[in-house]
Amino acid sequence: MEYLSQLYLPGAVPLWAAVVFAVCALWGYARVLRGDEESRTFARRAYFFFALSVVLTAVVLAIALVRRDFRIEYVFQYSGLDLPSHYQFAAFWAGQKGSFLIWLLWGSLIGLGVMRTSGKAEAPVMGIYTLTVMGLLFILVRENPFVMLGETPLDGQGLNPLLQDNWMVIHPPIMFIGYALGAVPFAFAMAALWRRDYRSWVARAFPWALAGFLVLGTAILMGGYWAYKTLGWGGYWGWDPVENASLIPWLFGVVMLHGMHLERMKGRYRRANYVLASLVYMAVLYGTFLTRSGVLADFSVHSFVDLGISGWLIALMAVFLAIPIYLLATRWKEIPAVKNEDPVLSRGAFMVLSTITVAVAALVITAGTSAPLLTSFMENPGQVGPDFYNKVNLPIALLIALLLSLVPFLTWRGTPLGALMKKLWPAALGGLAIAALAVWLGVHDPFHAIFVFLSSLALIANLQKTFERARSSGLGAAGGWLAHVGVGIILIGFLASSAYDYSTKVTLAQGEPTQVGDVNLTFTRFIPRQGREKERMEVKVVKANGSEFFAYPSLFMNQRTRQVMAHPDVRSSALQDLYISPIEYQPGTPAGAPQRIQLAQGETYEANGLKIAFAGFDLQSHNSEAPMLALENGQPITVGAAMEVTVNGETQRMMPLYSFTSEGAVTAQPMELPGGGAVAVSGINANDGKVQLDLFGLTTAAGEPARLSIDVTHKPLIQLVWFGLYVILFGGILAASRRLGEARRHDTVMEQAAAVKAGRGE
Amino acid sequence: MSKKWTYILGGVLLVAFAGFSMASFKTALTPYVSYADARSKADRTVQVAGGLVPESSSYDTDAGYLHFQLTDAESGEVMAVRYEGLKPANFEDAISIVAIGRFDAGSSEFEANKLLVKCPSKYQGAEVKEYG
Repeated sequence: MEYLSQLYLPGAVPLWAAVVFAVCALWGYARVLRGDEESRTFARRAYFFFALSVVLTAVVLAIALVRRDFRIEYVFQYSGLDLPSHYQFAAFWAGQKGSFLIWLLWGSLIGLGVMRTSGKAEAPVMGIYTLTVMGLLFILVRENPFVMLGETPLDGQGLNPLLQDNWMVIHPPIMFIGYALGAVPFAFAMAALWRRDYRSWVARAFPWALAGFLVLGTAILMGGYWAYKTLGWGGYWGWDPVENASLIPWLFGVVMLHGMHLERMKGRYRRANYVLASLVYMAVLYGTFLTRSGVLADFSVHSFVDLGISGWLIALMAVFLAIPIYLLATRWKEIPAVKNEDPVLSRGAFMVLSTITVAVAALVITAGTSAPLLTSFMENPGQVGPDFYNKVNLPIALLIALLLSLVPFLTWRGTPLGALMKKLWPAALGGLAIAALAVWLGVHDPFHAIFVFLSSLALIANLQKTFERARSSGLGAAGGWLAHVGVGIILIGFLASSAYDYSTKVTLAQGEPTQVGDVNLTFTRFIPRQGREKERMEVKVVKANGSEFFAYPSLFMNQRTRQVMAHPDVRSSALQDLYISPIEYQPGTPAGAPQRIQLAQGETYEANGLKIAFAGFDLQSHNSEAPMLALENGQPITVGAAMEVTVNGETQRMMPLYSFTSEGAVTAQPMELPGGGAVAVSGINANDGKVQLDLFGLTTAAGEPARLSIDVTHKPLIQLVWFGLYVILFGGILAASRRLGEARRHDTVMEQAAAVKAGRGE
Repeated sequence: MSKKWTYILGGVLLVAFAGFSMASFKTALTPYVSYADARSKADRTVQVAGGLVPESSSYDTDAGYLHFQLTDAESGEVMAVRYEGLKPANFEDAISIVAIGRFDAGSSEFEANKLLVKCPSKYQGAEVKEYG
């Protein structure tokens, strides 16, 4: 087969083997579902070999990248001889195919864990889960990463220099772990529906859901940090479709976590949790579809171009939409629902309200990201910019902050308003104090003041609760409250760093101190490339309080692609970041450096008190023979350039000479200029009658200092964004370890119960 | 407060928010338009696309502007663009550039506040963003 000969078989064979084993695993689990217990071992082994084949496939691609085997198109496209070896990993997931492969790799490995933790539901859970990974597998078979080129190129095309960054080595794989984890609660939920066992899946899926929340959250944090610190985009979040594609599943995941918690505590949200688990996975697929199918190609270059997998992705979405719809439609009425008897002022009711609010945020962001699709039927399809997201999410953030402020003081049974107010007032006083401080510092927009008040209230109230919980039941029990503290912190950080940042563009001449806002900047020197350290500019920064430091923004050209790359220098202090982003660098010219000018007949050059008017060429007076004859005889021709030179108001006629032979030998004597310095003819252009003059040693020419254009931005309280997210994730870790313990205990309890039952049966 | 009223209040809030989001969506929508449309719709934010006219870009250090020209491959029309900010990486190699902003009738230039630079397919592309 010709097709076979175009594939790199050491990679393609394990990939096909993975398909075979996946089908076997699916078949085996289907047999188990039909009551054939014997097939369980077969199914497990098949899944194990499937995962092994995927690992092997990934290893083969990694080795091909390390060996720079340019026969393989993918290696050729994303690697190159000059690519440092640690970036070979970045090349692995730089392209569409490789990123699906890393996703599949994590997915198949996570499946081994799912197999161990799914208990009695193993067959349906693993069946659904295997289906989800098979979706990725088929995309890879269609878009085989092991396609070979007709001939072996000597060098690859190299990795996009933007992606040659340590963050690129670590950020995408973590993102894909998060994506892969999105399928786990989905598999558990669908299996529960399938088995009509509506009670036990949440306990088992909870730790997985928390793990997905943590990993995806970490990936989002890293992406923001990468964009901010090294890419020099000036911010941590740009509402780009690719960024949103990771945020939307994360937000639905947050809703799902709270739904699971409600179900465990109150038995509520049972039906909703099936929908939520499906939504999380659907959000992962839909985000992938938006960013990888090429539908947004005109709206985000972050997106991949269409590789012809849109159809596959649509088919995948259809399948994984049809499964929950069918299962829910046939079982909806059976799912035990607890009647809502919570009073309005109770923890349960408020949790429901907050989750609805977060879900609305996720939906609005989905709508915004889908704008090009939603408007594609219109005459001029369009997209929505960051303004939309910021505007729409502001009231959502306010509401979230309000709900989070009250939740810590509400009990599951309900708290009367009077009692709530009594508990709330210390936190309210604290919030008011912080809001007053903010107003005093310059927050004059009343909405912003309310925002600060509510966020601080949420922060303090949840901090109180965290301490209370930690004292009574240990810090491990306070994870959720701690995460809410993080939300309060991050909200303040969002507002301060986005609404109160200010930025100035300024061009600094070398050595000249320039006052920019409250800092004094001097561009001191250009530092050439040294080894792996790229070209940098040194800027001395003197702050208002007299303290000073040197900042090193970097602007360099990638040698291979001639792209100009910019790295900002970010200086963090307790209250704000000073963000110095390079825009343009002009090397300038030193004083007295030779200058080259071109003049046509009748043109005049004028600079620094020197005026040169070019009157025309003089061919006759310097040659003994007729010029053409001289050339033929191998004699030089001499041309004079007649000019009037004016220095300090005194005009003088000059005629510097220029001789050349037919062999191209040129001689030109520099002629001294009246005010110092010299002029020489360095070329003549017979076609347009122009003369080219070099001016040397002009003491009058001051030279041009090197200039550096930079963008100086103050980002107040941006540390709160990072710190808040750390707190949220740390709270998540505490919750995860607690739920993992619970899930384990749940298993033991179940086993004991089964043992007791069996004992009774005897 | 009875439960019924809470539901009604919640419903009203949701409807109000839905209306607010739709309105924001409509105003924030930046349609993809032709150069002629961009010129006539100077009052709203739009996006135009085109290839970079070779050697048309220059950086005005004093004003801090990047100037360049885009050309529409189909109509051959040319649009002068002004962008306040850093010249995006692989700008010169772009197969097409999308400029988002509005037309400034005063200077007859398209004033871009965001550029999307589309590169040959081996790159995922680079982007210059305006963060709010």
